[in-house]
Amino acid sequence: MLTPLILAAAAEGVQAAAEIGMVEKFGLELHYVIFQFISFSILFAVLYFKVFKPVSETMDARQAKIEAGVKDAEEMKLKLDAAAAESARIIKAAQGEATKIIDEARLTAKAFLDKQTQEATVKAQEIIAKAQHSTELEHRKMIAEARGEIARLVVNTTRQVLAHELTDAERARYNDAAAKQLTVA
Amino acid sequence: MASLSKSDLQLSQQLTALSLDAEGAVDPAKVVGVLQYLEKHPPVSPLGVLKAYHRRISIELAKANAIVEHAGSISDTILGSIAGAFSQKYRRSITATARQNDDLIAGLRVRIADDVYESTVSGQLDTLANSL
Repeated sequence: MLTPLILAAAAEGVQAAAEIGMVEKFGLELHYVIFQFISFSILFAVLYFKVFKPVSETMDARQAKIEAGVKDAEEMKLKLDAAAAESARIIKAAQGEATKIIDEARLTAKAFLDKQTQEATVKAQEIIAKAQHSTELEHRKMIAEARGEIARLVVNTTRQVLAHELTDAERARYNDAAAKQLTVA
Repeated sequence: MASLSKSDLQLSQQLTALSLDAEGAVDPAKVVGVLQYLEKHPPVSPLGVLKAYHRRISIELAKANAIVEHAGSISDTILGSIAGAFSQKYRRSITATARQNDDLIAGLRVRIADDVYESTVSGQLDTLANSL
């Protein structure tokens, strides 16, 4: 890269010396100049092929590596962004799924609770109905017993009253009526 | 009675039939004759036969006798009418015997063997109590 510039400068120097008569003025000798030029060319060639070119190639390789690294970094950044977006999408989907599962669980729990409540209500109603039925039966039984007891008391009282209060004449009339009833039957 | 044989039961039944008159009533003279016969010709188990014969004669006598339970007084006219009515009903001669029973309060209860006819205040009160 520097070689064309050095060669151009050397050529311009030689041309300028020839034009203004510098050779005579400064006591320069041409063969020394040529020799110096050749030596410099050899040195330049050696430096070019042994130093400048490897250094340039090394720098180019390093630059390529850096560019590749930057490119890889950009790609990694893109991949990272994509991964982040995918992760966010997965998280969002998971959240949606979780919300759906939670809603289903709530619905299931509510349905189960409603079913349990309904069954408990039915059982409670059955128990109440049985209790009412039992109470009613007990009430009827108690009324029947009370009625029987009252009837027994009334009959016994009536029996005692009639036994004491009926006169012989009344008994005789009743016996006559009973005899007629039995003989007719 | 439970040890009485079948032949002895049949014998007691035949002796009972021989003790009845033409109307089916127990004839005392025939009963005396049956007993004399048994005395002369004792069966294998005379005690069992006599017990069975006695039971059957008691039943036959009960069939011919109407026991009239009553509370208060009862006239002979009523007893006669009852005897006549039941004699006509059973088609055999039935006599009526009065028996005082104040538990009846008022009315009559006629018992002929296993049949009972009742028209009493006590019976009506029992019917009333059972209906309630």
